[in-house]
Amino acid sequence: MVQPRPVVPLAQPWEFPTAERHVLDNGIEVLLYNRPGQHITSTRVLVPTPIAVEPRELEGVATMVARTMDEGTRSHTADEMAELFEIDGIAYGAGYGARGLTLETEATAAKSAQGWALITECLQEPAFPAEEVSRHVGQRLSEIEHEAAAPDMRAAKECAATFYDQSSRASRPAGGTADTVRAITAEHCVDFHSRWIRPEGATVVVAGEFDAMRTLRELNATLGTWQVDTAAPQDDSLAALVAPGATRVRFAHRPDAVQTELYLGSLGPDRRVAGGWAPYPALSFALGGSPNARLDAVLREEKGYTYGFRSAFRPRHEGGMFIVSGSVRSDVTVEALELTLQILDSAGEGFTEEETTAATDFIGKTAPARYATADAVADEAAMLRSNGLGTEFVSSYLEQLAGLRAADLDAAWAMWADEPRTIVLVGDAEAHADGVRALGIGEVTVI
Amino acid sequence: MRPHYPIATRRLDNGLRVVVSTDHSVPTVAVNLWVGVGSRHERPGRTGLAHLFEHLMFQGSQNVAEGEHFAALLAQGAQMNATTWVDRTNYFELVPTGALELALWLEADRHGRLLPALTQDNLDNQRDVVKEEKRQRYDNMPYGTAYAELTSLVFPEGHPYHHTTIGSMDDLDAASLTDVRDFYTRHYRPDNTVLTLVGDVDPDDGFALVAKYFDELTSADVPADRPLAEQLPPLTEPGRIEKFDHVPSDRLYLGFRLPHGGSDDFIATEIAFDLLAGLATSRLYRRLVRGDQLVTHVSRNTGARVDGTSMGALILDVAEGVAVEQVEQGVGEQLRRLATEPPTETEMAAAFADVERWWLQSLAQPDERADVIGGHTLLYDDPDHLNTYLDRVQAVTAADVAASAAAWAQPESAAVVIYRKKEN
Repeated sequence: MVQPRPVVPLAQPWEFPTAERHVLDNGIEVLLYNRPGQHITSTRVLVPTPIAVEPRELEGVATMVARTMDEGTRSHTADEMAELFEIDGIAYGAGYGARGLTLETEATAAKSAQGWALITECLQEPAFPAEEVSRHVGQRLSEIEHEAAAPDMRAAKECAATFYDQSSRASRPAGGTADTVRAITAEHCVDFHSRWIRPEGATVVVAGEFDAMRTLRELNATLGTWQVDTAAPQDDSLAALVAPGATRVRFAHRPDAVQTELYLGSLGPDRRVAGGWAPYPALSFALGGSPNARLDAVLREEKGYTYGFRSAFRPRHEGGMFIVSGSVRSDVTVEALELTLQILDSAGEGFTEEETTAATDFIGKTAPARYATADAVADEAAMLRSNGLGTEFVSSYLEQLAGLRAADLDAAWAMWADEPRTIVLVGDAEAHADGVRALGIGEVTVI
Repeated sequence: MRPHYPIATRRLDNGLRVVVSTDHSVPTVAVNLWVGVGSRHERPGRTGLAHLFEHLMFQGSQNVAEGEHFAALLAQGAQMNATTWVDRTNYFELVPTGALELALWLEADRHGRLLPALTQDNLDNQRDVVKEEKRQRYDNMPYGTAYAELTSLVFPEGHPYHHTTIGSMDDLDAASLTDVRDFYTRHYRPDNTVLTLVGDVDPDDGFALVAKYFDELTSADVPADRPLAEQLPPLTEPGRIEKFDHVPSDRLYLGFRLPHGGSDDFIATEIAFDLLAGLATSRLYRRLVRGDQLVTHVSRNTGARVDGTSMGALILDVAEGVAVEQVEQGVGEQLRRLATEPPTETEMAAAFADVERWWLQSLAQPDERADVIGGHTLLYDDPDHLNTYLDRVQAVTAADVAASAAAWAQPESAAVVIYRKKEN
């Protein structure tokens, strides 16, 4: 006999783990998340110098600094550093985003202090050997070509270039363009590092199973010793500026492409938006978060045009973007774009209570699982810290989320629905650009 | 450091194998079903069928409407998906504890009562979706078809691994409603499935709940599988495919036959490939990326396969202005060197430390733990693999690695695929 469908009891309330806050001897802020049962300790070090301080003609130098800080120090060669990390199984990575430098390690609890010692060496005394910098410059140039060849990455790059004002750093790739990267030398890395990579304002996040006192002692003996003698320069960087004007359409031509990548970006909120952040993840989910969401219900499940469409609000420190993207069979390019725009326009007619509940249930109830591991906790804490927020933010927006009604989603959508929009297509422009023009949605430029 | 995750096993009367690994630290349960059907079970002319079928499992079943499987579970805070590979298809969701029973009910309905809901419309729609998946992930991506080409060189025509999981457009078009019905009856059955629960549930409660919903499922009266194939020896006359294409840089792929999954010999080849290309201190990275700078990026993969023979690959992005032949020669030298010059103590220690860290880190996720348990129970009858793997890795000696490289990873046994940049 087939059993009747079970009824699900109410889920237990959940809050993001609370951080223990400390300050190291040199002023670095410490956030400790003790996660019993976790075998691996995750560490994130944030140095909050916005990428916009890079010289315009050397954009990418911050990324190059991040990538070569471990490629040799005053005490060890590049090869020795790699060996020191790997002999203890310490995974190390570093990158530079809009808000600054992030270094990260993953290590077994017993080896995490060794990881902090090595990170400190990378921060304090990197050598930037000329041959290592030039090798990484070559690799970045190759990476730029690979990014241009992948339809989704090409679309994201063209969207930023069009959506943001040319005076804004956000309009260009964080890692620099071929022209600016080619100009970067080891001296530029030395200069950027000595000027901008400093302990003032830095934060270290550690998540795992540990003894807090001992962890603090070990952090003080390593990252706590990092000192820079010179005075800190002023940071006068600009926030991301949106280019004014009507909808712009850019069609990047890819001859004979069997699919067209569609990528739509418009102005969106940041996490401090009036009315609270909670409605935005719910809107993303209702529009493009599952096969039942509005975009996929039509484009995938009804029409079979796509493997899947996604939508997301992507907050920056100030302001943000709302992105909708997906790739479709080439011969339905125009129809799929028109349908996508219709679906987005009709969102202004309102969301249902059913859609709202489905979204808030999903986001709220998945939280315990999404933050179950040390690395997920560390990533969230580091990302929020780089935006000047603590992890209380997660618990508070989840609380707001639980009480949302359809009217709250409607109100949030209405605040951003008519903002300037950029549409990028990557595909066979020869075949479809005229069709897109005929939609009359904005000036179409083929690139 | 060794993991000690608890493992409890049970087999229902209908043959369904059930594994429970209790962990009350988070109020969730990972539900994972591995079904012993993958692209290796597809017949000629019907490649891609196992994966297409995976899509149909989300389109409703006897008591679940189209789209309802997703909607019902998402509303409870489940994260879910399914994947298809050469040896298996797996279905999984990570649910809040309270939704475990609903997840089991939904899984039992589609794993036992799918056919009443299977329609020509569903098949046609999901066929279109899968074709877009193929275009998005393979046909429209630079180098997107290279791996399929490499696979076709490593495994001969007619071998179950000769084709890849996504299949061909023609075969997808040819799949009929009868094909998919027969496929379901033949392969989706309790005696060909492992159901794993990891998380906030005790073994007896887990077994009882699974029995409540799955006890009534039955298996067809035909064998689900044939005996496993013999191990293939390394390639003696490996094939080559070279082409000019719209790619951002020249790329070299080398493909090798490897020992079958589950064996200690396979683990030794995994370490050999790590030492060649898995670390910043690996030999190919040191020599070709950091030293001679002939290559901008090198990676490796070794995928365990159950049906006699596994496959390994080395992938190298050639630096601007460097000839692919020079890179191929450089790789060949390092492959020979690994066979004749066993890894140092430091190399072995680094390789082990790396495996230890990523293994523990991936097992931190209950859903990943469930996947490892389910997979090794289904394919190798080894539910405790997650606890013993690191011991087996540590038992590999430098001499084992050299012997493994000599036996399986020499340049004369490498299938080669080269993509050259087409100048506009």
